[in-house]
Amino acid sequence: MKIVQVRRISQVFFFLMFVWFCIVSTVGDRLWQLRGWPVNWFLQLDPLVAIGTILTTHTLYRAILWALATVILTIIFGRFFCSWVCPFGSVHHFVGFWGNRKKSMPQKVQLNKYRKAQCIKYFVLIFFLVMSAFPSLAATLQTGLLDPIPLITRSFNLVLLPIVDRPVGLASVSERFYVGAWLTLAIFLTAVFLNLAIPRFYCRFICPLGALFAILGRFALWRIGKNQSECIDCKLCEQSCEGGCEPAGSIRISECVLCFNCREDCKEDIISYQRRASLAGEETSPDVSRRGFVLSLVSGILAVPAVRLSNKLGSNWVHKVIRPPGALSEEEFLKRCIKCGQCMRVCPTNVIQPGGIDGGLENLWTPTLNNRIGSSGCQYNCTACGQVCPTSAIRPITLAEKQGHGEFAEAGPIKIGTAFLDRNRCLPWAMDKPCIVCQENCPVSPKAIYTQEVFNTIRADALTVKKATNTTIETVEDNLPLDKFATGDYYCVAEDGERRKIAANTENSIETSPDERFEKIPAQGSKIEIQVRLQRPLIDIEKCIGCGVCEHECPVSGKKAVRVSAEGETRSDDRRLLLKS
Amino acid sequence: MTDQTSENFGRREFLSRAGKAGISIAAAGTVSYLLYDNKGPKTGIDTEELVTLPDFSIPYQQGQTISIVKGPDRVETLKKAIELLGGIERFVKPGEIVAIKPNVAFASPPMLGATANPELIAEVVKLCYSRGGAKKVVVTDNPINEPASCFTLSGIGKAASAAGAKVVFPKNHLFKHTTLAGGRLIKNWPIFFGPFEKVDKLIGIAPVKDHHRSGASMTMKNWYGLLGGRRNIFHQDINTIIAELAMMVKPTLVILDGTEVMMTNGPTGGSVSDLRRANTLIASTDCVAADSYGCGLLDLTVPDLPYLAKAEKAGAGTTNYESLKPIFATVG
Amino acid sequence: MGSVRRRSKRLESAISICLLVILMVIGVGVFLRQFDYDISRFGIDTAVAPQLEIPFDLGSLAPAGFETLSAGQTYTTENLYEKIDGKAPLYTESGFEKLFTRRFVSKDDESLLMELYVFDMDAAKNAFSVYSVQRRAEAKDLPAFAFAYRTSNAIYLAHGKYYIELVGFSESDELLKAMAEIAKRIRSELAVGDDIEIAELSLFPSENSVPGGIKLYLSNAFGFEGLTDTFTARYKIDGETITAFLSKRVNSNDAQLTAESYYNFLIDNGGVAKPTANKTIKAKAVDFYGTTEIIFVVGPFVSGIHEAENQQAAEKLAEKLISKLGEAAKAVKDD
Repeated sequence: MKIVQVRRISQVFFFLMFVWFCIVSTVGDRLWQLRGWPVNWFLQLDPLVAIGTILTTHTLYRAILWALATVILTIIFGRFFCSWVCPFGSVHHFVGFWGNRKKSMPQKVQLNKYRKAQCIKYFVLIFFLVMSAFPSLAATLQTGLLDPIPLITRSFNLVLLPIVDRPVGLASVSERFYVGAWLTLAIFLTAVFLNLAIPRFYCRFICPLGALFAILGRFALWRIGKNQSECIDCKLCEQSCEGGCEPAGSIRISECVLCFNCREDCKEDIISYQRRASLAGEETSPDVSRRGFVLSLVSGILAVPAVRLSNKLGSNWVHKVIRPPGALSEEEFLKRCIKCGQCMRVCPTNVIQPGGIDGGLENLWTPTLNNRIGSSGCQYNCTACGQVCPTSAIRPITLAEKQGHGEFAEAGPIKIGTAFLDRNRCLPWAMDKPCIVCQENCPVSPKAIYTQEVFNTIRADALTVKKATNTTIETVEDNLPLDKFATGDYYCVAEDGERRKIAANTENSIETSPDERFEKIPAQGSKIEIQVRLQRPLIDIEKCIGCGVCEHECPVSGKKAVRVSAEGETRSDDRRLLLKS
Repeated sequence: MTDQTSENFGRREFLSRAGKAGISIAAAGTVSYLLYDNKGPKTGIDTEELVTLPDFSIPYQQGQTISIVKGPDRVETLKKAIELLGGIERFVKPGEIVAIKPNVAFASPPMLGATANPELIAEVVKLCYSRGGAKKVVVTDNPINEPASCFTLSGIGKAASAAGAKVVFPKNHLFKHTTLAGGRLIKNWPIFFGPFEKVDKLIGIAPVKDHHRSGASMTMKNWYGLLGGRRNIFHQDINTIIAELAMMVKPTLVILDGTEVMMTNGPTGGSVSDLRRANTLIASTDCVAADSYGCGLLDLTVPDLPYLAKAEKAGAGTTNYESLKPIFATVG
Repeated sequence: MGSVRRRSKRLESAISICLLVILMVIGVGVFLRQFDYDISRFGIDTAVAPQLEIPFDLGSLAPAGFETLSAGQTYTTENLYEKIDGKAPLYTESGFEKLFTRRFVSKDDESLLMELYVFDMDAAKNAFSVYSVQRRAEAKDLPAFAFAYRTSNAIYLAHGKYYIELVGFSESDELLKAMAEIAKRIRSELAVGDDIEIAELSLFPSENSVPGGIKLYLSNAFGFEGLTDTFTARYKIDGETITAFLSKRVNSNDAQLTAESYYNFLIDNGGVAKPTANKTIKAKAVDFYGTTEIIFVVGPFVSGIHEAENQQAAEKLAEKLISKLGEAAKAVKDD
């Protein structure tokens, strides 16, 4: 059996495994649901995630330890991950191969030659790592923007899967929505289609993870090379070279992705995977110019302070950015979030959405709650997002901690924001229409939304009594809306000033409840008023946890009459609204 | 022969490479081991190292805790008041570093009395240097308005510098988090710690002012300037926070300037008509006692200012200033 | 042999197979890993709810063709409201200890879903009380059980100290069949102590009684605080509904006192004393806004008729009740 066949099997194997993990990321215990599937495994194997978080937090969180295995294997064997494991690499590999399969051999050699611009990926890596490490006071983790594993995870979870699964409904119960998913798709498709121009375009020119592997694989014990210095120079070995690493000449070890195609294509068996350096010579170090290095270093150093000049972490913080329960304080959060979208994928209500740059540049694709999307706000009895977060940017909290029970009783529940009532839009407040949908749906006990009972005279001229008994009044006016006042919310007030509930009405009569009779039958010609009973909602700021269920349910469906914003979130002392009591 | 050489070279090259790879693996393993964190971050809130403000108070001397001097010239009354308590030498020893915390809350000219009087500051600085032998005097506050303009407009910046003091403006790195033992509000809260970290003595200087939220702003309320962060959240429980500040700050001496008292529209005032001459200056080592006397200048009594009783209960001082046998005097 | 070293095809195949084996090991590892999980991490509160304290695993009750859906949950007085919100006081004021719930779903049809609620009410009386006072209007009795009835989508039963609800999420015969199966298994498998007899139930005369019409009010029967542990039974006599009640007190003295205070309560609230026509019963009668109330004491029992439209029928029923209670009172004395 040939090694390239095994490589193809490995690529298909890991790609399918990756897709499977995307599919099963729904909370549940069916075989095709979350169960114990290690859905974060690819992210945990990714050393860029490990190094990025090490630089920002000076810790290596739990399961990211898997990355050590990748690092060690890369140090020994070279960039195997790119051609054997990486699901994004496999996509590029396949599209590049398929798109160019009909080209002639010289054309293929031309496509797969080494290009000076392949050094760009090192600059990308330096830029991101410097942002993570420099200056230590304002580190931010932005590797996730271009790190291939978070990128493909995000693209599959937030774009491809929802589109494909829409008619099937296997991966989620209800239709999924993700704000700004088009951008994620555009980037994904651009990266994929560029393979038609140059195979593995992303891997060769952009991928910061590939750049990291290139550096790690510098001392690889085994490497591709020639086992004799002379060859017939047929260039066959370069026709399907995935890395663009010039195996025909002095091979560039840092660019070689271990696809083994050159070894397969060499008719003379000159190319082998061997311990000794290629007898035709090799280049072990990446071809990085000093100018490019300094440029990426300087821009990395300047980037974070420049972004932070908007003071989005200080007094100019964005109240619309509501983080999931368990999220760390914003500064710590930004040191850990890799924008993989796992929390958005697993969220049963779809309320966690990819953030946009309106919340600051660093907010892009980070989890942000949008209560107008999804099936409900943040569920009171759910802690799924923190459980799947691979870096603990959202901590894996327990329900007891979320709700402030048991040992967390003193600390109280986790608040992710506070609901503010817009009395100018709220139906009972602004329009005198009965509605307490928000109060009914508030999941907190005792409820954070309570009501105030008010009786208001409706907008209509007072009615005149034509004839009356002790439960009915016939009116002179004959244009009352039929049964409009029979909802139980309307009352009539006759001259005795008492309020009596209306049980039914016709165009020209009103009937009160049988147990609310008129002791004194209203006189002919006397006036009666109609009042509506309103329960006006009020918010108890000490009880509100900011879950957004009220905002989601509010029938004022455009700009909601009750809206959550992040003030009062417990993850930040600076954003407190109230003193602790 | 050549083959042999190249073989040898190849072997050497491989061994050296294998050595480097081994070192790389060991390094990666070590770093992972050292930084491995199985638990993850504990809470969402940043946990910073906590600091505690030093105790600047001096030993108690019976009968020399509070002096009250009447007179129209605050420089003269100040001198007298300090002299009555044992002179500046009792408070400042040669070679010491002294911090002065005046009330510089607003960018407001001295004549409006919303800030501590610059002449008074200058005199205290001079006393510290000339008679106390201080090595260095620092004048600092964390004002509500923009610091530079507060120090400029109040005249305090210029007066203090002219007298030889160093004026310190609040900067981010000077704030550290603290938790007050027995406190309810000051918990893991940033305070303006830097200027006081390495000083030996602390003198608070405050005018007597009406204060809309708390009733009156005097020496205890003056410590509000030490709070950082979004401190106005404490306005929800102003009496407790002032009492807690009195627990947290243990000054060497406080000077309460009642020469001109802001009777109305406090704490900013804005018109000289808000001021009334009371011609009184109080010096004390007990700010609760000083404020308990001072509230009389605003036609208030101790029960009118609940923070006084709260501070007394917490052991920060006494509201019964009579019990301390205040030394009264009149100058001019 | 030139300088070109020919590659060994066998070595390549061997390495290839090794790599395939590694892939298989990874695949198997991932597959085994997925068995190891704790669904409660995603939001089911095990910290607050102690694990099963019920003689057997409710999950094992899954009827044929059904399987459990998500883990079972347990609620205590502290968090019962989370599950049943406004109704919680009804239980907590009646001796509620714990609620265990479990959901079952049909293997073939996901829409066939039901939830089993097992309320541990501490005593058979309490369980019977919450069972009887909540009895649905459209109830159809299940004759195979002592206390059980069904509605179009649910089965309710009192079994020893347990009050049990089986609620289908839709109306379906298949669900009802499956629920009946669970109910039967609960009856035979869920062990309850000896103390399950409720003596008072047999004291009501059976003639003309409405099946399933007996209720137990643990407190505040008819709005009167003094009437605790009061059983009521409904009768249909000549097309009219009459309610009889009885409550066993500690002794006849106490019974006398309770009867008097209830009588006074009626008078205070607008009742008017009226004579009883029947001389054989030593009873007090009250006209209460057009209905007749009859109160009498037999041994330790306070008993009577509540809100009868027809005084004659009420007195007839009272007579029967007195004679039944007399036997019981005698038995109490003989003991």
